[in-house]
Amino acid sequence: MDSSLFQLLDYGVYGTAILVMLIGLYGALVKKSLLKVVIGLSVMESGLNLLIVALGYLKGGTAPIFSDGFLNGTNKVMVDPVPQALVLTAIVIGFGVTAVALSLVIRLYRHHGTLNIDEIKNLKW
Amino acid sequence: MVGTPVLFVAIPLLAAFLIPLLGMIWKELVRIVPGLVLIYLMVLSVNLLNHVLVNGPIVEVIAGWAPPFGINLVFSAFSGFLVTLMVFLGLIVWIYSYRFKRNVGFEPAKKYFLLLMMLVTGAVGIVLTGDIFNMFVFIEITGISGYALTAFYTGRDSAEASFKYLMLGSIASTLLLLAIMILYSQLGTLNMAEIATKIHTVKPAYKVISLILFITALGIEAEIFPLNGWAPDAYAEAPGPVGAAFAGIVVKASVYAIIRYIYTIFDISGAYDFLIIIGMVTLIIAEFAAIRQEKLKRMLAYSSIGQMGLVLVAFGFGTKEGVFAALFLMLNHAIIKSLLFLSGSYLVYNSKDKTIAEVNGMHKFLPITSFLFALGAFAIVGLPPFAGFWSKLSVLTAAADSHMLFVMSLILMVSVVELVYYLRVVNRIYFFKKEESVEAKKPTFNALIAMLVLGALILVIGFYPDVITGVIHKASADLMDKTKYINDVLSIKQ
Repeated sequence: MDSSLFQLLDYGVYGTAILVMLIGLYGALVKKSLLKVVIGLSVMESGLNLLIVALGYLKGGTAPIFSDGFLNGTNKVMVDPVPQALVLTAIVIGFGVTAVALSLVIRLYRHHGTLNIDEIKNLKW
Repeated sequence: MVGTPVLFVAIPLLAAFLIPLLGMIWKELVRIVPGLVLIYLMVLSVNLLNHVLVNGPIVEVIAGWAPPFGINLVFSAFSGFLVTLMVFLGLIVWIYSYRFKRNVGFEPAKKYFLLLMMLVTGAVGIVLTGDIFNMFVFIEITGISGYALTAFYTGRDSAEASFKYLMLGSIASTLLLLAIMILYSQLGTLNMAEIATKIHTVKPAYKVISLILFITALGIEAEIFPLNGWAPDAYAEAPGPVGAAFAGIVVKASVYAIIRYIYTIFDISGAYDFLIIIGMVTLIIAEFAAIRQEKLKRMLAYSSIGQMGLVLVAFGFGTKEGVFAALFLMLNHAIIKSLLFLSGSYLVYNSKDKTIAEVNGMHKFLPITSFLFALGAFAIVGLPPFAGFWSKLSVLTAAADSHMLFVMSLILMVSVVELVYYLRVVNRIYFFKKEESVEAKKPTFNALIAMLVLGALILVIGFYPDVITGVIHKASADLMDKTKYINDVLSIKQ
């Protein structure tokens, strides 16, 4: 394959990640069901995580582990390990936020008997 | 030396997770341990601040990875000043809620104190860290404990307020992480000092996009105008001491983050003017919204938003006087607004709708609380013998020094609005007849002590501002000196 095709693939990955983020943002802002809002927020975070991992990728890179296989092998390119570590942290944080959000959704459902955001507005939105 | 900066993160975090276990041994430990931790941190931060003011900043390397590779904590005059302020307010909130939470039983008290510890950990971590991703993690810790504390009372609409806060907060965290990754993809580093040395090599487009994302994300936490939809509801629905903790701790940490990005990391001069503009818009809109509020705590929340706008305006001058005024204002706002939230929540304790109309004639039943509320109201408006006067005066002189007479006159005009809505409440407390239906709730002994300490501080700073201005002068000089920060951090070798 020539390099322009690779470049196109690169932009494709970034574009997909940003598209996933935008889909999540759309879901969080437009959907009326509280559960769908939480799913939207979660999808948005996943899109961001995809983008971060894609940013750290190098063409033909292997896993960033210093081992005998890497030192003696022919492939001397590693992908950047920092974004992967960051994504791991971000996933855990996203999990925590989703858990708190779902517990709030349960509370709201018990209090109002509905998940429709239009019917839960004792406070001004 | 009695300790190192890492203890500010490690000890409250450890205590937070030990609290449920300690509660199994003796239930009272759940209430006592947070207090011991906060007292220790208070002693530690005062000691370290004294050390730092004389000997220069302490840069601590975590896990033996020297900057720029590892995470480092920076305890300088500026960050140390804010850490001391936050730990002090955490202590006040603890004293206030020690017995208050006895009424709600063991399980809720356990969760309350656990989350309070997490809140302090996160906020102090934001201020101390020298690594932008680490700051993101601390912002999330603060955020998650903030969502949970907002939803503390099950009876009210607190879950709704909390969900609103959570939604905006998690959009903010996504934008923040995106901004961090844009910087990382351009520079390959996450260390603040190293980014600051290399930022001029980044293309302007990337720089501006990432700064905009940073300000948007942090603006949600710092209650900047179009992004502060969560704040009035969260303040109104959360317990009183949590409102004080938000105003004194969480918002201060977020403003610190914005200021650190604009002053130290980025080199875009237009950002200062932008701060003045958003600060003024926030100030004006919030004060006019406050005058229309019927609920006491919502009014206080809008007033808090307005004060934060004023802080941003003062930072936006970009001069040494401006930074001094902004830090002084942050200190006064933390003390005075906490006092207003703590005393205000007793004034409307038993009333059904928590409206301003229901505080009528409370001074006969709650003389000390009413007096302290009035003291706080006069102080925050900026009447002369109180603490708020000096900070407002220094904001105005800083504006005059920067030849921004238009901004100066707007601030004075908005102050009149502020005076009107605070006097309206004080007038109702003192000169209206009490409604029969509302029963006054006597404050507990601990709550009285917490409020009296804050009230005394307002008077002390009001009569002798010199006790604190020396520290603030050094803190503002520390923030202005960007090259010293970079050298201090990057010269560390381990």
